[in-house]
Amino acid sequence: MSAITSLPAVAGIGLRSPHVARVRAERPPIAWFEVHSENYFVDGGPALAALDAIRAQYPISLHGVGLSLGSADALDPVHLARLKRLVARIEPAAVSEHLCWGRVDGRHLNDLLPLPFTDEALALVCDRVDAVQTALRRPLLVENISAYLRFESDAMAEWDFVAAVARRSGCKLLFDVNNVYVNAVNHGFDPRAYLDAIPGDAVAEIHLAGFDASGPCLIDTHGARVAPPVWALYRATIERFGPKPTLIEWDTDLPALEVLQDEAAIAQSVLESSDAVVA
Amino acid sequence: MPSLRDMQRGFATAVVFGDSGSIASLGIVAGELGAAGRIDVYRNNVLGNYRNVLAATYPVVLRLVGGPFFDAMSEAFVRAHASGRGDVNRYGGELARFLSFYPPARQLPYLPDVARLEWAIDQANIAADADALDLAALAAVPEHMLGELRFKLHPSVQLVASPYPIFHIWQVNQPGHSGEDRVDLGEGGDALLIARGANGVAVERLTPGGHALLRALARNLQLADAVERALAAEASFDVPTTLKSHAAAGTVVGFRVPRSSQPRTPA
Repeated sequence: MSAITSLPAVAGIGLRSPHVARVRAERPPIAWFEVHSENYFVDGGPALAALDAIRAQYPISLHGVGLSLGSADALDPVHLARLKRLVARIEPAAVSEHLCWGRVDGRHLNDLLPLPFTDEALALVCDRVDAVQTALRRPLLVENISAYLRFESDAMAEWDFVAAVARRSGCKLLFDVNNVYVNAVNHGFDPRAYLDAIPGDAVAEIHLAGFDASGPCLIDTHGARVAPPVWALYRATIERFGPKPTLIEWDTDLPALEVLQDEAAIAQSVLESSDAVVA
Repeated sequence: MPSLRDMQRGFATAVVFGDSGSIASLGIVAGELGAAGRIDVYRNNVLGNYRNVLAATYPVVLRLVGGPFFDAMSEAFVRAHASGRGDVNRYGGELARFLSFYPPARQLPYLPDVARLEWAIDQANIAADADALDLAALAAVPEHMLGELRFKLHPSVQLVASPYPIFHIWQVNQPGHSGEDRVDLGEGGDALLIARGANGVAVERLTPGGHALLRALARNLQLADAVERALAAEASFDVPTTLKSHAAAGTVVGFRVPRSSQPRTPA
């Protein structure tokens, strides 16, 4: 197993269980895969064995959804220990989590819930990120989330909060372009202002996904192709930050692997056109 | 302005229990959607997520009760059982017990046991791996000591017993099943072995002797006691053949020789 410590600046795909058998059997030409860490918080069995086999062929990114970096509750030591064990086993190219909360008084809602952009929340998140980075002995990539509400107590803009987390904690950012777009529409701001505030050096990975526009606001479902305005914002993102490892995420109504490969090919063409510009 | 903890407490209460009183104290910017409308988005996401997790773990329960019943059951279950972990895959182990006290399920007395079987299958799939039984080491144990052996079962092994024919119910509700799908509840109960082998998790019907034997081994009784229980449950039970087949299938993965019989290591 090669000791890759960062992702290649090319397009990868989120690997979900219905595609695992095919990836193992056919070894499709996909640059890297990302999986949800918690799906492998198991003691053994076929899913973990499959991940071991795929890791032998591809770089893997571990993407967490349940650590709850922004909870007033302390970090769950059992969860962190499981993550640490998985990181030691898989030797992933990246480990990421979300800038959100999910647990209070021991009750987990198992969702990515929004934080108020206050000094209190900023200090708490930075402490937690620091604790996780210390425990894992590697930088954590922290992802901006989609949010369907804002708090009156916000003392700064979302982008200033995200940038401050990176600056103060020394973490890397997983910049989710779709989440920026969803929030820009839902909360009425110019996504370019968001881009301008983000320190490009800290961005270690980018996420792209599809949203659902059938409800009262845009919902980040990861259940559709990347929307045209999100592709446009992605192009602007790559122009500003240079080529970054970019992931196609799809979770609900998962299509055939080819559809994900199509989307990854579009992202790859954006990355390559930017190469020419930067060079 | 509420503290972060107070906000999170009120948010969780509003999302899970629909408590509109706690919404007002959260300090949500209302906008066009309104604070309650925004909390509704999260309620749909959270309850929908748990519903999908439970449906993935309990597909036969879902088939037996239908979508609308399952949705209502799932919501009631989520209110009664908080998730304690950030790993949602482990959520839902208490569903069988919940169903045995859930009034709308009273007409389906077998439902809790079907849920117990589905949870056992789910857990068997993620249990630890184990090396195969060392047959040469077992063959080297002197015959007079065999009765004192304590066998170790594969970590995935689970036993589920029910007064209802839950295996038959489970079989006719598998995706590939065709033909007769009616089950006569009068056909009797089941004792089942759930274990993960080379081809994944398998469910196997046990005879009374086979069930008594594995129950005794799972409780770490020595072989002589386990055999006694198996024969008490089923006089004609064939212990040697059963043990051999458990060893071949990987149900039994190890054994311990009693301490007093082990050769002493030089000090």
